Amino acid sequence: MLKDITFGQYFESASIIHKIDPRIKIVLMIAIIVLIFTSGNFFALFLSTFFIITTLLLSKVPFKMYIKNMKAILPVLIFTAIINLFYGEGASLFPDIPVLSHITFEGLYRSVFMALRILLLIFVSSVLTYTTTPNDLTDAIERLLSPLKYLGLKNAVHTLAMMMTIALRFIPTLIEEAEKIMNAQKARGADLESGGLVERVKALIPILIPLLISSVRRASELAEAMECRCYNGGEGKTRLKQMHLKKLDYLCLIVFVFYSFAVILTNIIF
Amino acid sequence: MSILQVKNLTHSYNGNTPFVNDAVSNVSFAVEKGEILGIIGHTGSGKSTLVQHLNGLLKPTDGQILFENEDIWKNPKEIRKIRSKIGLVFQYPEYQLFEETVFSDIAFGPKNMGLSDDELDKRVKEICEIVGVKPEYLQKSPFDLSGGEKRRVAIAGVMAMRPEIIVFDEPTAGLDPKGRDNIIKIIKDYRKAFNATVIIISHSMEDMALLADKLLVMNKGNLEMFDTVDNVFSQGDKLREIGLNVPIVTRVFNKLKALGVDVNENVFTVTDAVNELKRIKAGDGNA
Amino acid sequence: MNNLIEIKNVTFEYVEDDTLHTAIKNLNLNIEKGSFTVILGHNGSGKSTLAKMLNGLNKPSFGDVLVNGINTKDEETEIDIKRMVGMVFQNPDNQLVASIVEEDVAFGPENLGLQPLEIRKRVDEALKSVGMFEFKNSTPHRLSGGQKQRIAIAGIIAMKPLCLVLDEPTAMLDPKGRAEIITTLLKLNKEDGITVVLITHYMEEAEKADRVVVMNDGEIIADGKPCEIFKNVEQLKSVGLDVPQTTELLYEMQKSGFEVSTNILSIEEVAKEIKNALHLEEN
Repeated sequence: MLKDITFGQYFESASIIHKIDPRIKIVLMIAIIVLIFTSGNFFALFLSTFFIITTLLLSKVPFKMYIKNMKAILPVLIFTAIINLFYGEGASLFPDIPVLSHITFEGLYRSVFMALRILLLIFVSSVLTYTTTPNDLTDAIERLLSPLKYLGLKNAVHTLAMMMTIALRFIPTLIEEAEKIMNAQKARGADLESGGLVERVKALIPILIPLLISSVRRASELAEAMECRCYNGGEGKTRLKQMHLKKLDYLCLIVFVFYSFAVILTNIIF
Repeated sequence: MSILQVKNLTHSYNGNTPFVNDAVSNVSFAVEKGEILGIIGHTGSGKSTLVQHLNGLLKPTDGQILFENEDIWKNPKEIRKIRSKIGLVFQYPEYQLFEETVFSDIAFGPKNMGLSDDELDKRVKEICEIVGVKPEYLQKSPFDLSGGEKRRVAIAGVMAMRPEIIVFDEPTAGLDPKGRDNIIKIIKDYRKAFNATVIIISHSMEDMALLADKLLVMNKGNLEMFDTVDNVFSQGDKLREIGLNVPIVTRVFNKLKALGVDVNENVFTVTDAVNELKRIKAGDGNA
Repeated sequence: MNNLIEIKNVTFEYVEDDTLHTAIKNLNLNIEKGSFTVILGHNGSGKSTLAKMLNGLNKPSFGDVLVNGINTKDEETEIDIKRMVGMVFQNPDNQLVASIVEEDVAFGPENLGLQPLEIRKRVDEALKSVGMFEFKNSTPHRLSGGQKQRIAIAGIIAMKPLCLVLDEPTAMLDPKGRAEIITTLLKLNKEDGITVVLITHYMEEAEKADRVVVMNDGEIIADGKPCEIFKNVEQLKSVGLDVPQTTELLYEMQKSGFEVSTNILSIEEVAKEIKNALHLEEN
């Protein structure tokens, strides 16, 4: 059901990963993803695996939570693996078995390689979302983008950040509302579960229209409330929370530099 | 014969959802045909979860709901039929309006039951008379109506299915006094016209005293009391213990008693109160 | 000058469906500094329109609204007026901006461009004054309606307003939430000296006010102390309002020939009044 969808999946814990500045975490996540995708061989990928697994363990988030995220993307994972498995070039591994005759060593290699890449990708992004609150994420993104204001995009950065903040705030409210409306229409005999594709899409109208109308109403009320709280487009706005890099953040950067050198070296050597 | 029986109903939400754990455990009660049952309890006491079981929106983790002696989940494919027999009006029902005209919105429920166009027309018109929606409003957009009118149209949308039992979750929430009186009148009129059974969740003990025959008190997912209005409201201390209270007029009478006046404290409406005072006055005259 | 807000000959008109509607008709009202005023009226009586006029959200079509001597029509002082007269609305969900309580409360002070330390101080003070300090790191979504509404109030208090205008803040709350809000408002008024204008149609909430203003059809039809207003049971009922059940009891007793006065509200005093009335008969 809709209720099971949680937006943002922060997992409260007092690990050092939680304490790293969210800006550093975002930048490093992007860097690690780049490293994973530029890794050309298993050695480099194993290094990343080691690094990421260590981070997972340090995050003090139960491992099953990571597995849970992996499950969600499992179909994609399997699909990619199979595609790669069957469309590899080279000599077949099982030339005598009908379907499996398409499998080649290169195919198998690429299949495992791609699967591992995707898996690491999910783990890296999960570490970020499990150890950083959605608010810190939004905040960090706003601050990371703030150099754009020198390009005359000041308003754009602020607007984007405000939009993200409001989205974070309202997504749970709207999910709950959607659920209520669904139940109300079901109570009027609406059939949401059966029928073909067309019927099902049609059946969504009684839910989507009230949801849309209520969102518009909420938006206009919110705009009014924001005006009452002296909001004028972020002009001269200050912040309650300041972000300063700490020792831990620098340490984290240093560790990362070593790791990335190692990965790059492995890529060159092998 | 009880029209509705709830037997050992338990509903537990599985774990880590971020929502309030509004569970229900081992609740049993029966509703007689034609009576008005009031449900009172705190927000989060399990009231809303409970009523969503009555028409099969939620499936019990354990226990049964019998409508006319038959388990509503006997044939899960037929659950939509149950929903037209046991209507449920949610809180702020006006937020579920979606059709282009008032007519088609009211007709949405009956249409889902597969009724013919003639029958739809008949039902919509009939229900509009009860809820006080003027015929010329039927071709208007429901979104052009005032707040109170929207609510009446939304309630009509459930009533048009002609449910034998109709359940309201705080039907008067957010309305002004006139609007509140109006909704209460509609509920009474519907009950009278179709000999329907009514279940109402409300926070207003004063309204409950005027409306209900029986009260069901929920607390932390458990059924705390289930009795006649008199028997429930005569246990003021127990109600206060779980954060509820008796009607204001009853509190005045509790105070009177504490001041040493020999009154019957079990008055729950203004009319009863005035009668009781008249009785005392007459009694004193005789003495 | 003791008036914080002066409403002078104000009329408010708007156009809907090509017809001109008048929501407020040539209305005069002064709100005294430090007072607790309740505005009663049924839906559509113009009370919400009036509320939004107090901080310049609505500008009068004719007439003037002065806040601390400043006209709300003055565009240059628009933000000052909004800071001085804070507004809280009916639906707590639709006025909270951030998904962390303290960040939401900080929104107003941040917009005012205050320094981080000052914002921190104000956020903490505001949360303490509404009794929500321990929830400062919670997410509003998991709180009850009453708690959310208290956070909305804290968000306004953090801007240090002179006056707090609340447009039906309890309409969507359960009795517990309603009681929380009223207690909070009384505290802010009595202890912190904030002027409060509360718009409601729950009569019980008007009992503790200094003054009750009754609106109907864009006009003020009654203005006075709560007990004086409520004794006119018939007048209130004629404009779609109700009276507290205590008043109704006394009123019905009066009709049945008891000698009681209807200008009492609290349960305790009503009980005493009834006792006296019964006692009189005995002698």
